[in-house]
Parts: sequence; structure tokens; C-alpha cells
Amino acid sequence: MNIPNQPLNQRILKYLITFLIVVGSIWSASGLEITPDRIFSAPGKIWILISAMFPLDLSQEAIDRIVPKVAESLFIAWAGTVIGAIFSFPVSFLAANNVSLNSLSRITKQVLNIIRAFPELILAFVLLPITGLGPLTGTLAVGIHSIGTLGKLSSEVIEGIDEGPLESIKSSGGSKLNELFFGVVPQVMPTITSYWLYRFEINLRASAVLGVVGAGGVGAELINQLRFRDFPRAGTVLVVTIAMVLIVDTISASIRRRIIKGREIKV
Amino acid sequence: MTDTLFDPKWEWAFENASQALLETIQIAILASILGCFIALPLSFYASKATNQTTTTYIIYKSFLNFIRTIPDLFWAMLFTVAVGLGPFAGVLALVMFSMAIMGKLLSETIDSIDLGPLEAAKASGAKHNQAVFTSALPQILPNFTAYFLYIFELCIRASVILGLVGAGGVGRIIETQRIFLRFDRISPIIVLILLAVIAIEQFSVWLRRKIL
Repeated sequence: MNIPNQPLNQRILKYLITFLIVVGSIWSASGLEITPDRIFSAPGKIWILISAMFPLDLSQEAIDRIVPKVAESLFIAWAGTVIGAIFSFPVSFLAANNVSLNSLSRITKQVLNIIRAFPELILAFVLLPITGLGPLTGTLAVGIHSIGTLGKLSSEVIEGIDEGPLESIKSSGGSKLNELFFGVVPQVMPTITSYWLYRFEINLRASAVLGVVGAGGVGAELINQLRFRDFPRAGTVLVVTIAMVLIVDTISASIRRRIIKGREIKV
Repeated sequence: MTDTLFDPKWEWAFENASQALLETIQIAILASILGCFIALPLSFYASKATNQTTTTYIIYKSFLNFIRTIPDLFWAMLFTVAVGLGPFAGVLALVMFSMAIMGKLLSETIDSIDLGPLEAAKASGAKHNQAVFTSALPQILPNFTAYFLYIFELCIRASVILGLVGAGGVGRIIETQRIFLRFDRISPIIVLILLAVIAIEQFSVWLRRKIL
């Protein structure tokens, strides 16, 4: 049996991609001075670090220091997500090309792209001289970045709606505003809410690292303990952070499933 | 202090930051390639569709979930302590980061593949691994490519900040200049980073449209 050959251009593309990947990784590895013996000795070194962390430092003093810091990260993430949600919601209507003017939508999208290009930490960096050290800087950084990402995601949801309800509102004499409120919002709300929750999960991780530049949260605690070579306490910081992230992820994921799929009906 | 932020020193930034910016891009390329290709086999084990053994499924799935809970910069801090300062720690951190994301996205894609071809391959006498290789892998390859490009973009963004904890890349220069409060040197670097990130993102969008 003869299996037909792939078309020539597809084969060329395939080899081209393989070539790019191989050359790219070799070029990068040589530029970064990564040698095989460094790679092979890495697992052993990592194991030494992990075994230095156990047993964890569970003294009352350590817990009293670490838990409020982890909670602060949680607060930063929540406040940042709320900022992002409130501001991105109207902006996403401006950015969606089916409910907004064409030129306006293009400008808004570019603005959102620019906002998104700044990582939270860099934003925190720019904000530090303005708002000072502390959780306020972190919250603003997380919030501004969330406006960019949520705005993009929400506008894409709005662009994907079913136009039928809008038409029927128009034909029964509704204004443009009525169309938005009764045609668009009910259609997009479940998906957008679940994106908000999803963003909250991401922001939680982002706010955990913000402490590295002094913008509040648990990151400062981890980097300090690692600097002072207090590995058991660094281990405690890690474990508490992981536990919090896992708990929040589980709760948030189950809420998202409930929003998207609705209540399970038992027959 | 904010005045100097708007008085950028461009020549200084071009001279000192371009090498570090290149290093940042190299970290992102290497880490996203390694992470994604390690995650490719793992995600087949972390999906119910291609792994019928419940215990290994749970082990792989929770392994990927566990990796995902630790933020990228935490990985970077841990690796700088374990293998020393420098870009190697950054690469390892981003490998973990991209592996976790790819594992999650891809295993969920594998969950929803068409099981017909798999069954057909088995009916014609293929072993489980052969069946997965010939009929599940081609189904998810387009998704894999799309996710790979997406993760590459994420890695570019993430690698910018790795230097803040000493894991290589352009963040290192930002960190040292921050200590001396030279915001006039930091602001042009941030603009350069922004331009590089946007350029790479546009390239990746173009490539995605070309391939898929």
C-alpha cells in the first residue's frame, strides 16, 4: 500500500521549523554558557537545597511572621483583580469592534496591548518612586496589568456574541444602550466573570513575587530567608504559599465550573 | 526622584543593556523549547484519554499542578541558591514555568481528543504507546504549536524580571541601577524591553497565523 507523500511546501515548513528549534536552542545554550556537566550536576544541588529545608521551621514566631505576609499577598491579588475588573469592563466594550466604533476600537486595543507589555514587577518598579514601598504599589501594579489582560480577553468575548438578540431589541424599538444592557451583557457576563476569577488565580502568583522589589507580600520574606541561608524558614514560607495557592485555586476553579456549566441537575 | 525617570539616558542604555537583553531572549528561547518538549510526553500521562492507569494519572496530574502553584520568580530564587547566580538558574526556573503551563493546557486538550482513531489503531493491533503516537499525537500537534508560541511569549515577559533575583538577563541591570536610584538609566531600559517584547509578540502572532 502506498501512503501519499506530504505536499512539498508542508515538508519544507516542517524541516524549517525543526531547524529553527535546534539552531535556536544551540545558539541560546552557547550564549548562556550552559554545559552538559552543569546540567547533570543540577539535580544533586537542587536535592541538597530541598533536604536543607526539612524539617520545616514551625516555631510560633515563624508562623506569626509568615502567615500575615501570605495573607497580604492574597489581599493584594484580590484588590488588584477588583481594580482590573472594574476598569476593564467598560474598556472592553470600547475595544470590541462589533459594539464600538471601528477607529475607537483599534486605538483602545493598542492601548491595552501597551499596558499588557509591562510585567507586573516592572510596573511595580515604575510605581515605587511614586507610591513608595508597601502593598499599595503592589496592588496598583497588579491592578493595572489586569486591566490590560482582562480588557483584551473580555473584548474578545464581546466580539464573539450572537447578534440575534441585538437585532430583536433593535427591531422592537430599543436604543443602542438597551442593546448593550439587554443584548450584550447577559450573553458575556458568565464568561467574563470566570475570566475575572481566572485572573485572580494568576494575580495571586504575581502578588506573591512582588515582595522582591518591596511592593508588599510574601516575596520579600522568601528572598530574605534565602539570603540569610535560613533554609528551614524559607521552606515554611514556600509550603504556606503553596498551600494558600492550592486552596484558592481549588475554590476558584469550582466556582468557575459552576458559572460556566450551571447547576448540575439530577434526574 | 520621579524627575529623573523622565530624563532618560539613551546612549548609556544602548551600550550596557543590549547584551543583557540578548541574554534575556536566549533564556526565553531555550527555556520554552526545553519546557514544552519535556511537557509533551508528560501531558499524555496526565490525561484520562491516553492513560488508563488511575494511579499514574493522579501522580502526573498532581505533579503538574504542584509545579504550577510555585510562581516563576520563586523558582528563580530557589535555583539561584541551588546552582548559583547566573542565567542557568533563570533557564531552569523558566523550564519549570513553561512545563507547568504546557502540561496543563496540553493535557486538557488531550482529554478532549477524538478517541476514534485511537480505537482504530488498537483494533488493527497497535500497542498502547504506538496507538497514542500514531493517532493521538497528530491530533494535538496544531494545539501544541499554538501553545508553544504562547508560552514563548510568556517566557519573554517572565525572563525580563528574572535578573531582579540574580538569575540572568536584563533585570540584573535594572536591579543594580535601582540600588543607586538611577531612574534616568532605568527608564530607557524599560522602553527598550517594551519595544523588544512587542516586536517578538508581533513576530509570534505572524508565525502563528502562518503555521495554523
